[in-house]
Amino acid sequence: MENQNHEKEISFTFNGKRIKGIEGQPIAAALMANGIRAIRTCTVTGEPRGIYCGIGHCYECRATVNQKRNIRTCLKCLEENMDIKSE
Amino acid sequence: MKVDVAIVGAGPAGLIASIELAKNGMKVVVIDEYYRSGGRLLGQLYEDTKSEKKRMWDGKEIANHLMDEALSLGVQILCKTTVWKIESNCLFISNSEIKEIHSKAIILATGAIEKALPIPGWQKVGVIAVGAAQTFTNLHRVKIGNRVLFVGIDPLSISVAMEMKKAGIHVVGMMLPAPSLMTGEKSNPQDVLEQLLMVAHMAPNYFFRIAGKLVKGKIKKLIVNLLKFNLIQIMGIPLYFRKAVTQINGQREVESVSVSNLSTNGELSRIETKLEVDTVCLSGGLLPLVDLTQVANCILVDIPELGGIVPLHNKYLKTSVEGIYVAGNITGIEGAKVAMAQGKLAAFSLLYDFKIVSEQQLQMAFNEVDIARKSSPISFLPNIKIGRKIMEEKWKAYSIPIGEK
Ligand SMILES: Cc1cc2nc3c(=O)[nH]c(=O)nc-3n(C[C@H](O)[C@H](O)[C@H](O)COP(=O)(O)OP(=O)(O)OC[C@H]3O[C@@H](n4cnc5c(N)ncnc54)[C@H](O)[C@@H]3O)c2cc1C
Ligand code: FES
Repeated sequence: MENQNHEKEISFTFNGKRIKGIEGQPIAAALMANGIRAIRTCTVTGEPRGIYCGIGHCYECRATVNQKRNIRTCLKCLEENMDIKSE
Repeated sequence: MKVDVAIVGAGPAGLIASIELAKNGMKVVVIDEYYRSGGRLLGQLYEDTKSEKKRMWDGKEIANHLMDEALSLGVQILCKTTVWKIESNCLFISNSEIKEIHSKAIILATGAIEKALPIPGWQKVGVIAVGAAQTFTNLHRVKIGNRVLFVGIDPLSISVAMEMKKAGIHVVGMMLPAPSLMTGEKSNPQDVLEQLLMVAHMAPNYFFRIAGKLVKGKIKKLIVNLLKFNLIQIMGIPLYFRKAVTQINGQREVESVSVSNLSTNGELSRIETKLEVDTVCLSGGLLPLVDLTQVANCILVDIPELGGIVPLHNKYLKTSVEGIYVAGNITGIEGAKVAMAQGKLAAFSLLYDFKIVSEQQLQMAFNEVDIARKSSPISFLPNIKIGRKIMEEKWKAYSIPIGEK
């Protein structure tokens, strides 16, 4: 069902900018590897937010992935050409 | 979907349980909400000071090995799937194809979660929980920051700080959280040091091993004396038992923390200084994740020695609900080796009830838990064995009226 020892570099976009990551790693890890820590903007305070728990509990790392909103980037695995946008 | 046994949680406890059950001919499914199996094993990477050759404890490798073994025995593993309800041996899951799983018995091995440590500014980008720091460093192998400060000094945060340092990240030090209603003894230098020294056989460091021996001899005064020196180092990482972080600052992301001195009793000085950091790792301690036992109507009991509220269970890990067993950190906070031994015990307990293994085999599995405890390179709670005893007493009090088996 899963086997992740062979790492493959792929490209994807974050807010329109094309960057690289490893296929199958959580999106949040790929963003972090590119130095991107601010993933979304808090609708109440307007402050940026990034990962906190890393395991899907806190919902701080949400983003729009391929037009689907509210995807937790610490859980969602990266795929070739994914289109990721801040919310 | 119909199976003999459904296991919630593909951490070490759940995986081992699935392997033992499958070996004995059971049809097993393991469900986990993370994107891959392994649970908290995945982030673990450190020297196993208790193994004979002092080998590395590489949790990811162990997880891969367990997963392969389970799959080869015909165990089904459903990842990215959350169990949200349990009703009379039926599990309701968040899966696009399968909605329900019917089973003859259930093992809940949902592990532990981190306690929050809400100090002002903790919502900022660059503040992360120690568990996330562990996974990002050891599993995903990405650098979480350039100048990292840990808040909360405990066995877990120390081991993560050491791993980060080995990975080439600059760890500026470890401090306590400023005292507040939420932090309690986590902000008292004496309590923190004493707790640490009591589990010091996991000693990542010579100092702790020696000091730990002294505590066992109840030389409390020495602990207080140790605190006179504000600075203790592990692998070049300064542990500031007498400094507390009062606030995390920064415009868009973390830029600095405000720090005040603490007296040995945990009183905060009014003078504040600023320390520049770009990342803060918070470590508030661990709690058993018991939500599902609650949903399944298992009786819960509060045993602080085990880490808080846990499902009532007998020494063979049977809960108060017929057909539901528990294993791993859901029963109390301990290291991965204990979780594995408990996984086997829960499986044998179930197999015994199904008349597949003998009482002697069950007893052997029981004895293995204590052996695992002794060979654990890490432990979290100083009075865990007392906690386990209290649980046995509580179970007796509960079960005697209806007759212990
Ligand atoms: C942040 C953190 C760091 C730790 N670090 C160490 C360490 O360095 N060394 C060590 O020995 N121990 C460590 N521990 C203790 C750790 O809990 C044990 O080592 C061991 O992993 C416990 O095994 P387990 O099988 O009980 O639970 P876990 O390994 O936690 O596995 C539980 C699994 O259940 C899943 N789950 C939970 N609820 C549901 C649900 N409703 N539906 C579907 N799936 C669910 C989770 O996704 C998880 O994968 C750590 C614990 C935490 C929380
Ligand atoms: S970081 Fe908490 S849900 Fe993703």
